[in-house]
Amino acid sequence: MHSKLIAALVQQLGPAQARQEFRWMLKHSEHSLPDMVRRRCLGEPLQYILGSQPFGPLNLLIRPPVLIPRPETEDWVLKLADRISTPLKPPKYLLDLGTGSGCIPLLLCHLLPPGTLHAHGVDISPHAIQLATDNAALYGIPPHSPENTASNTFKTSLGNLLAPSFCDDAKLQPPYDIVTSNPPYISWNEYLELPRSVANYEDPKALFGGPTGLDFYHAIARLVRRDGFLRPGAIVALEIGHEQGQDVEHIMRVEGQLHDTEVWSDPWGKQRTVLAYR
Amino acid sequence: MLLLSRCLRTPAKNLRRFVPQRPFHDQADHKNVRIVRILEKRIEERKRLFSELSEEMSSPDDISRLKQLKESEPLQVAWDDLVRTRQLLNETDSLLSDSDEAMRALAVEEHDSLGKSLAELVETTIPSLLIPPSTTSHLSAMLELKSGVGGSEASLFLSNLLRMYLRLSNVRRWKANVVSQNDSDGGGIKDAIVEVKGEGVFEALRWESGVHRVQRVPATEASGRVHTSTVAIIVLPLMEETDNHNEELFNMEDVKIEVMRSRGAGGQHVNKTESAVRLTHIPTGITVSMQDERSQHQNKRRAFTVLRSRLMDQKLTREIAERRATRQNLVRTADRSEKIRTYNYAQERVTDHRIGLTLKNLSSVLEGDGLQDFLDALQKDHDETVLEDMLSGD
Ligand SMILES: C[S@@+](CC[C@H](N)C(=O)[O-])C[C@H]1O[C@@H](n2cnc3c(N)ncnc32)[C@H](O)[C@@H]1O
Repeated sequence: MHSKLIAALVQQLGPAQARQEFRWMLKHSEHSLPDMVRRRCLGEPLQYILGSQPFGPLNLLIRPPVLIPRPETEDWVLKLADRISTPLKPPKYLLDLGTGSGCIPLLLCHLLPPGTLHAHGVDISPHAIQLATDNAALYGIPPHSPENTASNTFKTSLGNLLAPSFCDDAKLQPPYDIVTSNPPYISWNEYLELPRSVANYEDPKALFGGPTGLDFYHAIARLVRRDGFLRPGAIVALEIGHEQGQDVEHIMRVEGQLHDTEVWSDPWGKQRTVLAYR
Repeated sequence: MLLLSRCLRTPAKNLRRFVPQRPFHDQADHKNVRIVRILEKRIEERKRLFSELSEEMSSPDDISRLKQLKESEPLQVAWDDLVRTRQLLNETDSLLSDSDEAMRALAVEEHDSLGKSLAELVETTIPSLLIPPSTTSHLSAMLELKSGVGGSEASLFLSNLLRMYLRLSNVRRWKANVVSQNDSDGGGIKDAIVEVKGEGVFEALRWESGVHRVQRVPATEASGRVHTSTVAIIVLPLMEETDNHNEELFNMEDVKIEVMRSRGAGGQHVNKTESAVRLTHIPTGITVSMQDERSQHQNKRRAFTVLRSRLMDQKLTREIAERRATRQNLVRTADRSEKIRTYNYAQERVTDHRIGLTLKNLSSVLEGDGLQDFLDALQKDHDETVLEDMLSGD
């Protein structure tokens, strides 16, 4: 029976990937194997079928249509954790814009010493907010409260980053020491070229960044330049599309008035993260 | 003590008394004498240390002397045991010719049991105390299996061997985990890496390193001709992330980390799982590829564990070679290209060529139980070499 299923997967994925994914499916015996293979052959992402995705040492819950955390994101968040782990007293306040599964703030909460990070994740999608909340519960990361100073904390709220009333809607409490975001950055043209497993299954709202793909960077720049939004020495870390490095650096310098910026590459050699410092 | 030292200085016939219940080859006798002599030397050393302790324990050297004394306490216990047993044996000696028959019978029984205790002391307890403690005794193991000559038949044999080690681990309550596995198209496994965790697993399994050979008619062979195929196994000391002597094994700057496949635009454009990584340790040229986990981070961690284990293995091999260069040393290092064992299906037998041991029950070996017999025999063989080494160096 297995050989038939593998053959079906090979058709879709090629031999090496098929074998690999089949083994991962075998480890999730809570689902029916033929069913998983059938769904995969229709183009559904493996992560939705298995219901999880490892992210650093975490294994996060994943549910459609919330964006599946990417290895590129995992890589830069691990680097960021290293970068901010040293001068971390007193506790830092972090804002994550478009938090999705909560992967970015939850990994940082997990890696940094207890009681040093209080994170707030905002998203426009109630699905995302629910998933991020579930993931926080899975790893026992509590919401912020005056009694809870000994642990790292994570809270969520709904909000539309592009709306003028965003700060109030999302109940933001600046100033922040760290702002992170992996905002939707795919442009109109690119959107048409996306693989099926992305375009047909993941939330378009999580991917589509306006005609040029840069809408959200402009919105973030407007936000962080506000008086008292960032604490002195604050870091803004933004994931970018592979050809957006220059544009986003420029937006952060000119519109965000953050004059110190750098670009990190991902493990595949593509520009992936813009860092800007207040 | 007097009695004993008299014994020691009178070789040949009197020595037979040490282990009176078993006919001994002269060679074995000779070995026992040497063991006792070494122990005696150590006891004299203890006496000297003791006499050197300052009266009010005020010198800084006292601390190190006390430490040494504490460490060698088990030797003293064994020595006292030896002396006492020997003395009792002497006392029973005279009763062996007692006029009363009941008394004689009793004496024979007593003599018998004392003789056994003495043999146990000299042949097992004391040697194990004299052999320097191994530095690798706490380590878990990592097994690397690679199919060799014989094509798909070798891959099928590899899956048989893999199962054998997993079963053995189960029986021994070790925690075995296949961390990497490349299946072959013919249904077998081209190569695999298994972590086996547990106290002393590395030392128990290290003699499995080498080439394992199978002789059988492949399932796919219509003509019924016997084929010979091989699988190479390397057993490494497992170096986990938390082990403290990791730092000295490599510098992070010397390791090149590469991701394997191209992802096009990457990021939000792609949600295919591509988590394979490859490490290259530039100074040694060691490369490790890992792709079995769904996350790059986990594959990287696994790959680093393999790298550390391989580097640790190189370090151990180097140390043994150095020791061998400075003085005569019989302890072998596992020769990875050596054909160590043959599994012959037609004759239902398994032979280990190093110790010349054949078990006529192939299936029990493959089920894991018989394998333990090989491990025990190899361990014994090793212990004897180490002891021989120590005796010849003394
Ligand atoms: C590319 S996904 C990133 C998700 C997650 N941070 C990650 O890295 O996997 C972008 C997220 O932004 C959210 N989002 C899209 N438009 C938004 C808006 N106008 N305001 C707030 N969040 C928005 C989406 O729902 C989605 O969860």
